Amino acid sequence: MNREEFLAELERLLADLPADERQAAVQYYADYFADAGEEKEADVLRELGSPEKTAGSIRADYYGREFCESDFDRKEYMERYGQPAGQDAQASADASRGNGGGGEERKKPWTSNGLKVLLIILIAIVIWPVTLGIATAVLGIAASAVCLFASLVIAAVCILIAGGAVILTGLILFAAVPSAALVVVGVGILLAVLGLIATVGTVKLCIIVYPAMIRGFVALCRRPFYGKAV
Amino acid sequence: MIFNTGAALLDAVVLAVVSGEDEGTYGYRITQDVRRVIDVSESTLYPVLRRLQKDECLEVYDRQFDGRNRRYYKVTSRGMAQLNLYKSEWKVYTQKINAIFEGGVTA
Repeated sequence: MNREEFLAELERLLADLPADERQAAVQYYADYFADAGEEKEADVLRELGSPEKTAGSIRADYYGREFCESDFDRKEYMERYGQPAGQDAQASADASRGNGGGGEERKKPWTSNGLKVLLIILIAIVIWPVTLGIATAVLGIAASAVCLFASLVIAAVCILIAGGAVILTGLILFAAVPSAALVVVGVGILLAVLGLIATVGTVKLCIIVYPAMIRGFVALCRRPFYGKAV
Repeated sequence: MIFNTGAALLDAVVLAVVSGEDEGTYGYRITQDVRRVIDVSESTLYPVLRRLQKDECLEVYDRQFDGRNRRYYKVTSRGMAQLNLYKSEWKVYTQKINAIFEGGVTA
């Protein structure tokens, strides 16, 4: 992979970020390569690892800021930078010790990790009926939340249509009972205007709420994978 | 290094490095300067710079260099205030640590 490929891949991986955010990041790394010079290109590429890793660090920071409260964000951020350094130090300390004790210490997490996975799978099987129920309930709540806002729009449109119908009725009545017809038309106009305002309001609400929901959901799904990325 | 560099310390080091240049400085050089003192990977600094910029501690501007636009970072007055806070906090912190290491005479 050369730097052009790296930058193109980075841009592709950041496709879900806002354009200015993506451009700033790609520009930064393009600058970085240019300033490092051609002879150091391979070094920089090796050091950056993969475009995925670089994109991960940008994305983690971006989403970390966007979706968390500032306090939480700061703590999380600190852990993210602290952890790999700590692990590196631990690993190098173990390596430099190089005796049996160090090796054994390093082995331990491996077995407990395998056990943990096994346990998690077993637990998952045992509580499957419960988790299925909970999953269905969560899905139901999510679906109803999605439908709620859509139904608000539909209701508002219905009011608008009803207002139009009342106006029409009033106009038809005009020949027979002019005074009553005026009242009916007035009420109809009022209804129509209210419906129009409600429609605009609810549509705007949807425009705000739906992207936020989707972003929140994506962030939630991403958390296990990107939460600790550097 | 065996001591971790937390987010605040990394912020402080970056601010200090950038504030050392009146005209501002650019990403590659900041990375090299920071890496002289602490061991960070090349991909660590971009998010830090971006965040400091969003927090209005750094401002950016582009300048022509070698037939292309190079992005420069400069410390704002707010960044300067933040850096001074970090410096004084660091002084207190290191004094306390030193006091413990050296037997409690300096505190």
